[in-house]
Amino acid sequence: MLGKLIKHEFRATGRVMLPMYLVLLATAVGSNLSGRWMLGSSRSALSVLGTLIVVAFGFAIFGVLLMSFVLMIQRFYKNLLQDEGYLMFTLPVSVHQHIWAKVIVSAVWFIATVLVIIGACLLVAYEGGFWRQFFDFLGQLLGGLQKLKISEALNGTVVLAELAVLMFLCLVAFSLQFYAALAAGHSQPNHKMLWSVGCFFGFQAVLQFGGSMLLIGLNKLELSRFLDWDPTPIAAIHVGLLMSIGVVVVYGAIFYAVTTFFLKRHLNLE
Amino acid sequence: MRWEFSNDAPIYTQLIQQVKVGIVAGIFPPGERLPSVRELATEAGVNPNTMQRALAELERDGLVYSQRTAGRFVTEDEIMIQAAKRGLAQRHVKSFIEAMLRLGFRQEEIVALLKQEIEEGTRDVSTGM
Amino acid sequence: MSVLECKELCKRYGRTAALEGLSFTVEPGRIVGLLGPNGSGKTTLIKLANGLLTPDAGYISVCDMAPGRESRSLVSYLPERTAIPLWMSAGQLLDFYGDFYTDFRREAAEEMLGHLNIHPRQVIKQMSKGTREKVQLIMVMSRAAKLYLLDEPIGGVDPATRDYILSTIIGSYNPEAAVVISTHLIADVEKVLDEVIFINQGRIMLQSSVDGIREEKGMSVDALFREVFKC
Repeated sequence: MLGKLIKHEFRATGRVMLPMYLVLLATAVGSNLSGRWMLGSSRSALSVLGTLIVVAFGFAIFGVLLMSFVLMIQRFYKNLLQDEGYLMFTLPVSVHQHIWAKVIVSAVWFIATVLVIIGACLLVAYEGGFWRQFFDFLGQLLGGLQKLKISEALNGTVVLAELAVLMFLCLVAFSLQFYAALAAGHSQPNHKMLWSVGCFFGFQAVLQFGGSMLLIGLNKLELSRFLDWDPTPIAAIHVGLLMSIGVVVVYGAIFYAVTTFFLKRHLNLE
Repeated sequence: MRWEFSNDAPIYTQLIQQVKVGIVAGIFPPGERLPSVRELATEAGVNPNTMQRALAELERDGLVYSQRTAGRFVTEDEIMIQAAKRGLAQRHVKSFIEAMLRLGFRQEEIVALLKQEIEEGTRDVSTGM
Repeated sequence: MSVLECKELCKRYGRTAALEGLSFTVEPGRIVGLLGPNGSGKTTLIKLANGLLTPDAGYISVCDMAPGRESRSLVSYLPERTAIPLWMSAGQLLDFYGDFYTDFRREAAEEMLGHLNIHPRQVIKQMSKGTREKVQLIMVMSRAAKLYLLDEPIGGVDPATRDYILSTIIGSYNPEAAVVISTHLIADVEKVLDEVIFINQGRIMLQSSVDGIREEKGMSVDALFREVFKC
């Protein structure tokens, strides 16, 4: 059932995101052409048009970023907490599956958005010898990689993987904080949106307070006295990343629990 | 067929009456299959269980009979249909007379009025009015 | 086995009680009217049966199960509001129902949509309010569920749509399933019902068969309702 939820979630969001990506790519191509023929052209009309296209490209980047963020919140709000909630919460599906479907789909869109923006920037930069340069660069990179020792290559790959996981988890946890605030706010009888905003900042405050208390506490404990450990730089990076992953997982899990608690127990759709 | 219901009597007794009218008036001809309970209920806009109950009652009276798989049929017994027709007519006449008595007419007056009305009715028809 | 059962069911919102000790059962094959003035607890009861709310005391069960994920595959629910996503086309809505409900009879739904001249590519947002209500009802009635919970199915629609909705409900009758219709428009649904439950201020005032009321009191359910709830 999770698969089906995800499928329909992509259907609902794809109709917004895909056209946005198309616009972004179109303005990217436009900017590329503009850079070659229009900007600095002797005809002022052409030059102005070129500038406009480049500005449009800038707005398009901003637009897709904003849209993937807005969509993350709006889908949860509209699909689960408004009238559509009557349909969604009476499907033979668990609350957990609902939350996972929303979280996974919005994380995928965030990542896709970043990739599309990178792609669009490459499009803008493209010129005659571009691909040759690009492959030269890739070749150099591969050549450099080949010179690496196995341990270095392994460490590098793992660090990259850890970074990717961390990024994904950050997106998930970030979405969950919004979901928890919306779910908690909408469990109030009145002024649901106001409560949601309040909850969001409330969570933020609690989180920061808790976080700083934890840090102060850890500092006081002076753990380093017990640990006789002088890590190599790469080991320190691993430990740092893994600890960050752990923190993000805890942070996400707290908001996941808050979200399910309110959706299961206290939600009363209008 | 038009289905109409009053508010003072159970719906199933009204359904019995109206199906009877349908049979007597030849909307449901003798020996023909009746529409299914669901079809009749949808047409009349009533609960299927209520329609079922009315048809079962008609079956007990013998006006319709059911064949295990083929459904319900109107009786072919003309005498029974004629009896039903009489029964329906009597009800109308009775309630008519009651209404007239309540208005203060005497029995002879009712008969005279009825006669006069019928004669006028036929004259209107013959003169093409 | 009863399709819907409540025992001493209580629900409160904050300090106000919405339901105070409701007990009744609904048997398969029955079309039951849940009748009461606005704010009497009808919608609360239906939400509880769908697991959209949790009871404070007593219990409610659907086919001998507490409302939840499993019971929802047996219940077909028509909410008071238009809950179908407006951006979908009729065809996408059919996909949606087909994906989530194994008892969805797609051909039946397609046929009913066809009768209304609704094309699968037509988007719900572009339909009139009455048509949206009809489409939503078609989806709900095209499931072969054990219990249909219809919350105010004929509220706020024109008389022709009202007739269409009622005849769709009758036409989808299944002797193994029960239908619960909540409404305050009694005169319109009375003939469609087997029995009625009068509910007021979270309590049951009366449970009886429609013809039982007409036989005993010599008046329609609508007339009795007006008498019972006279202001």
